[in-house]
Amino acid sequence: MGLVTIAARNVWRNKLRTVLTLSAVTVLVIFFLLLRTVIWSWTASAEQASRDRIGTRHKVSFIMQLPRRYVEEMRSIPGITQVAHASWFGAKDPNHTDDFFGTIAVEPKEFLEVYDEIKVPKDQVEAWMQDRQGCIIGDALAKKRGWKVGQKIVLSGTIYPGDWEFHISGIYTADKATVDRSTLWFQYKYLDESRPLRLRDQVGWIMARVDNPGRAAEIAKAVDAKFDSRDIQTLSMSERALQASFLGMVSAILRLIDIVSVVMVLIMGLILGNTIAMGVRERTHEYGVLRAIGFLPKHIVLFILSEGLVLGILGGIIGLAIGYPFVQKGMGPAMEENLGAFFAFFRVTPELVVMSFVLAALLGLIAAIIPARTASRLEVVSALRRVG
Amino acid sequence: MGDAEQGSSKGKMISLEKVRKSFMRGREQLDVLAGLDLTIEEGSFEALMGPSGSGKSTLLNLIAGLDQPTSGKVIINGSDIGSMSEGQRAGWRAANIGFVFQTYNLMPVLTAVENVELPLLLAKLPAAERRKRAEIALRAVGLEDRGGHLPSQLSGGQEQRVTIARAIVTDPKIIVADEPTGDLDRHSADEILKLLEKLNTEFGKTIVMVTHDPAAADRAKTVHRLDKGVLAN
Repeated sequence: MGLVTIAARNVWRNKLRTVLTLSAVTVLVIFFLLLRTVIWSWTASAEQASRDRIGTRHKVSFIMQLPRRYVEEMRSIPGITQVAHASWFGAKDPNHTDDFFGTIAVEPKEFLEVYDEIKVPKDQVEAWMQDRQGCIIGDALAKKRGWKVGQKIVLSGTIYPGDWEFHISGIYTADKATVDRSTLWFQYKYLDESRPLRLRDQVGWIMARVDNPGRAAEIAKAVDAKFDSRDIQTLSMSERALQASFLGMVSAILRLIDIVSVVMVLIMGLILGNTIAMGVRERTHEYGVLRAIGFLPKHIVLFILSEGLVLGILGGIIGLAIGYPFVQKGMGPAMEENLGAFFAFFRVTPELVVMSFVLAALLGLIAAIIPARTASRLEVVSALRRVG
Repeated sequence: MGDAEQGSSKGKMISLEKVRKSFMRGREQLDVLAGLDLTIEEGSFEALMGPSGSGKSTLLNLIAGLDQPTSGKVIINGSDIGSMSEGQRAGWRAANIGFVFQTYNLMPVLTAVENVELPLLLAKLPAAERRKRAEIALRAVGLEDRGGHLPSQLSGGQEQRVTIARAIVTDPKIIVADEPTGDLDRHSADEILKLLEKLNTEFGKTIVMVTHDPAAADRAKTVHRLDKGVLAN
């Protein structure tokens, strides 16, 4: 038996209060895990973007188009090894108009060379290349919709109105967890040939591989310099920066989620602090007895801090025991399946598990500091006079 | 039972000289002890009686080293309490004083034997040795078969006996008891008083007991009566 053991037992003296406190901490830990995972998942694609890819978009806005000839011109810039373009299509399944998934027009061969983390069986690639209306879809999208290779589907265009028929040539997977597996990639020529003449030969953005990741910024500058004197100027940046610029649109939401997660930590601290303070107030007389029989103020501090730490650790363990499988096994797959375009990989990272646990334990400790100081400063005689 | 006269030839255990203890109540100074002199011999069993507010508990707190006098000297077992820091007094209390309180004050989350073991946590003893000494102390108060019980599973008299075991486990020279029978029925109170007598006669402990109960005071060798901060006899 030691002071820490006694403190741990004290945690269970008022069982109802402890259970309610731990329940509150558990709920907060779960929400903390969830919110931090939302932030991580949303920004993970930018964090884990390929280092040897640069992206080029219209200088004014990424919703404005670039001339397709820029793709060929970029091939001649020293350091660039492969180039691919992509154009946002924007279409919906007429039977599930509320469900969002990406629809992007690309040149299949160039696209698969530049995005080599996307894996498609060879025969399906061949089939896609030979079919003007062919497309590949991610395995998550295929699973969710029950779509199969060889199936014909009709989507409703939003930017380009009308019914668009596609033939599913293949289903792709990815060797990187952060790759969205719920997008439909189809042949650019199908889009381009169907558009009015004035809209033809335009692309949304251009991605290029560079021979030396260390020179990516320099090469991006060279790309922009090449088109600087043209009517349409470009803005090039590393893939990471490009992804981050897309995230810029939702940065306010991310910031809000970030703030809410911090507020939750504060609430957790207040709940723990309140429970510890109530327990300490009720036991002031006992601390007086301990002081009378020879324990020092530092022992009282250790005693109360240990109690706070035990409460925080318990809250962290229970919160993680429930929250981790809830997010990892329950919400994660559901988010990836339904909102794969935003949350390609919605899982709790080991770092977040450690952070949540350490935060809960630390909060327990910090919340106990003021009650511990107050109790340790009481005069023995005053403490002995206190009842309840 | 004697009455303020000391008949022992042993040395002084407790000596108070011109002890004053004042508190401020708002702007008014309240003299709880007003120049009190008291000597208690080693191995005696003394009772402090008096009406509420007479200064009994304040005097007991000074003797126990829980408080310091406003002026005067408090010498306990050769140590000047007034000159000690709080930290020094805490160490001194752990080594020299055993406490018995009216409301038992056992830790409800600890078993009887763990409660008795509590003061030994301050001594650098191996866990097995601590437990052994706690069990011996429990045996001395006749509760060797209740070591594993929580305070809530014990009667009031048994709880007070556990408190006494906790008071003697460090083998202190002095036991201070503040209304030790105040919360007990007559039968349990008699048992506690017998135990205190035994500690005094068989183990030579110096006992200072505050009580309102004349029957409890009868067990003491000497009774001091306080009134308005001075000894009445």
